[in-house]
Amino acid sequence: MSLLEKARTAASKPPAAAREPRVTDEHGRHVRVWELTLRYLLLLAVLALTVGPFLWQLSTSLKGPTEDIFSSPPKFLPGEPTLHNYERVADTIPVWDYALNSLKVATANVVTNCVGAALAGYALARLRYRGRRAATLAFILAMLVPVEGIIIAQFTTMRELGLNNTLVGVVLPGSISALNVLLMRNAFLNLPYEIEEAAYVDGANVWQRFLRIALPSVKGTVAVVAIFAFMGAWDDFLWPLIVLSDPSKFTLTIGLNYLHGTFANDERLVAAGTIIAVAPLIALFACLQRYFFRGVGEGAVKG
Amino acid sequence: MPVSRRALAAAFAVCVVLPLSACGSGGGDGAATDASGKVEGDITFQTWNLRANFKDYFEGLIADFEKKYPGTDVKWIDQPAEGYADKISADAAGGTLPDVVNVSPDLVAPLAKAGLALDLDKAASRYEKEYLPGAWASHRIPGMTGTYAFPWYLNTGPLFYNKTLFKEAGLDAEQPPKTYDEVFDAALRMAEKTDGEVATLANVPTIEDFGRYGVQLMNKEGDAFTFNDAKGVELFTKYKELYDAKALDPQALTATPESSGKKFLTGAVAMNPGSALDLGNFKKQAPNLYKNIGITDQITSTGHVNMYVMGVMVNAQTKRTPAAVAFAHYVTDAAHQMSFAQQVAIFPSTAGSLDDPYFTKEDGTDETRVRVAAAKSLKNAVNYTPVLFSEQMKTELRNEVAKALQGKESPKEALDNAVEACNRLLQQQG
Amino acid sequence: MRRQLPTSPWLFAAPGMLIIGVFILYPFVSTLVNAFTDRRTLIPGEFVGLANFRELVQDDMFWIGLRNSTLYVLGVVPALVILPLLLALLVQKNIPGITFFRSAFYTPVVASIVVVGLIWVWLLDERGLVNALLEAIGVGRVGFLSDQWLLLLSAMAVTVWKGLGYYMIIYLAALANVPRELHEAAAVDGAGAIRRFRTVTVPAVRSTMVLVGALSSVAAFKVFSEVYLMAGPTGGPAGEDTTLVMLVQRTGTGLTGRVGYASAISVVVFVVTVALMLLVLRADRREES
Repeated sequence: MSLLEKARTAASKPPAAAREPRVTDEHGRHVRVWELTLRYLLLLAVLALTVGPFLWQLSTSLKGPTEDIFSSPPKFLPGEPTLHNYERVADTIPVWDYALNSLKVATANVVTNCVGAALAGYALARLRYRGRRAATLAFILAMLVPVEGIIIAQFTTMRELGLNNTLVGVVLPGSISALNVLLMRNAFLNLPYEIEEAAYVDGANVWQRFLRIALPSVKGTVAVVAIFAFMGAWDDFLWPLIVLSDPSKFTLTIGLNYLHGTFANDERLVAAGTIIAVAPLIALFACLQRYFFRGVGEGAVKG
Repeated sequence: MPVSRRALAAAFAVCVVLPLSACGSGGGDGAATDASGKVEGDITFQTWNLRANFKDYFEGLIADFEKKYPGTDVKWIDQPAEGYADKISADAAGGTLPDVVNVSPDLVAPLAKAGLALDLDKAASRYEKEYLPGAWASHRIPGMTGTYAFPWYLNTGPLFYNKTLFKEAGLDAEQPPKTYDEVFDAALRMAEKTDGEVATLANVPTIEDFGRYGVQLMNKEGDAFTFNDAKGVELFTKYKELYDAKALDPQALTATPESSGKKFLTGAVAMNPGSALDLGNFKKQAPNLYKNIGITDQITSTGHVNMYVMGVMVNAQTKRTPAAVAFAHYVTDAAHQMSFAQQVAIFPSTAGSLDDPYFTKEDGTDETRVRVAAAKSLKNAVNYTPVLFSEQMKTELRNEVAKALQGKESPKEALDNAVEACNRLLQQQG
Repeated sequence: MRRQLPTSPWLFAAPGMLIIGVFILYPFVSTLVNAFTDRRTLIPGEFVGLANFRELVQDDMFWIGLRNSTLYVLGVVPALVILPLLLALLVQKNIPGITFFRSAFYTPVVASIVVVGLIWVWLLDERGLVNALLEAIGVGRVGFLSDQWLLLLSAMAVTVWKGLGYYMIIYLAALANVPRELHEAAAVDGAGAIRRFRTVTVPAVRSTMVLVGALSSVAAFKVFSEVYLMAGPTGGPAGEDTTLVMLVQRTGTGLTGRVGYASAISVVVFVVTVALMLLVLRADRREES
């Protein structure tokens, strides 16, 4: 709901900005008022397009049991907003247990991806050894494999490792994704060579160069990888469904699917469920976005 | 291309390092099909999306079973609605199928063929007489001997219609259509009166529609489909006519049961098949519609309505055959089916249960009226969908039907193609 | 740089190689093998040579799938290369409230595709919000979810909608690299916004555009969820919206899945994505020289 408030405060901004013509950008340069107004108008248009659909879903989830949600034309705001549907979701399924499992899986996925992809990316970008090209190609090929076709083979492998029906089994296949490795490789490739050259002359070994020089310079990309990894794990449906059998280990996406079934078909509940699935991610992102976007900017070494 | 050769070499290099290749799938020691031993040990029971609403019921049932048979321990796992077939496939292929599994007939067939479903005619034939003959038979598979699951709950339902829309189109809202011809006539009237704005039907014909119309779906041997006969073409030609007149919703080609249900709720479609479950749904989601809802019997030309059957299967590879069979029977016996039926609007498949006053006495509410009518029709209902009709076949039929409705081929050609494709798939399923 | 232990590169790469090898490449090699068998989900197959591929070229659905996946690349990739760049330029400048806008634009990326599918199906429904608005301005209702081409187009729009924020981030990182002086010099020369975009921004982020082009074309060719959720599991009217990966899923999964045949389609998908990747990279190299 803080999002709603934010949207409203943001919506009230352009006139305020117009009244105050001395607006400057981050470098202290003047920004023309008409240009600023145009910018805000465009921003608001895109905002309506990107966030509007979620607000519509939020509105549906707040509509009470007596309200006709299929009325046409549609009502944008709930007549009597109620959190009743959220209570019912929590009564129907153990939302908190599922959310905790999702959190575990997503956190593990972030750690493994950041560490593994950074290491492998560095090896592909910076280190000289026989077979480097082949290793790079292996990662590119892995990125191209259509996952939908290999899911049963993955499950069989997991079972042979004895890791089916464990959260470890959920994390492992995506724990170091080829795409993230390649993103890290590109980030390292974009670093100027000279910085590391200097460290090398100072006698730093490969681990020291990686940890002290290369890694801090690609913080932005690491942040991107972290967010991708968290989302990927949080949102995945088919793989956790197949690898897990025990409902006490289910992640939130699977758990919420209980709401969508034969005996519990209520649009309001489904809407409340989708909001529950999305809200933590939005909240997390809202908290981290400062760091995230700063990181993205810093990630690139300014020439 | 030196690049691609190196790439391949790399791929293989990675794979060779892996210590996986030599692992066989364990536990192929062939479990006993004999269910007469002592009922004991740990078993796992998997249901299909029942936890959310019936947690207490199943926990109570399991506790009672464990009390009745000391030394047993039943672990209950429930899977969500979506992806159930994928989940079972992975478990079946990986050898991790639970001991007792909630299945539908089309899931049983491939499992039985792969030797994963226990033949109850061998292991538990003494229980056969406890169930309705039609329900027991729904887990038999053409071309195989044996019965591969206990019948569990049944469902069927009436046809709902929107009285307001009927009145607006000048149709008698108190005299709903009773035969196929009457439905078709009403649909055409409705489309004409509303200028194609309101359709009467929302779904293209499925295999059970052909069955209900009296089409012979498969040959006697059960090794070939025959729904392209004259009767099938007759029904389908009628549907084509409705589609052209917009009496069959133009969006029917992409409709799902959920989407057509929604259309009925929003008043875009005048009729929709449903079950007793839907009444509560209407009340909650579209109170305005609920006031004007009409209820009439399912249309059938054969005298038998269609029913859906759920079953409980025993894994043929279970290490605890006696306990698994005993539990599967316990879940589906008359007493437990009866108490389950009182929790939710489904119907027991056990003999005599439908004569219970709960299913015969009306108290004036719509709920009981629907329940009593459905229970009555279930006594000779048929599960028209052939157990061998796989998901892939459903898709073939659906796509051919759509082509004909779009006018890309004639109804006859479409059904011929569908039958040919389904027969090919049937062969390939082995 | 000689001061490194001979084993250290492999130590760095090992965790990644191991995971990729065990869980992606090894299952994929078994898929390659399966493509030459008639294996089904529960029945081990026998070697059938090229029979699956011969069946493939005669399968109408395969050609429909190939057509749709190709159209998807053509429709989605240009939009995903250009629009997120424009969006990145729009949110690049630090004006008040910009961090809010940046995060808000990222929300579609954060939401799972299943949620996104549910939301858009409801929005684009015949009586949904979008059609209500269209009717209000006199356009009339549009069958976004019933017409074969509109369905494909709607799915593409959702892919673009969900991808905007994702690629915006990648562009933002790249834009931070573009020296301001270049822009200023061009501005002093009297170059308008559009010319500055063409002569300064685009060349500076060209390698990123190639990266985005490559990533989005691979993802677009392998499209599954958007079309599956909007057109349904059977792929729209008469299956005309089926994509190749949907066909893999439909033929190969479930208890009656034809794993061998589906694997053959997977192999085709793989070969085409490799070709796409090479094409993008070659185009890049040619332009560079």
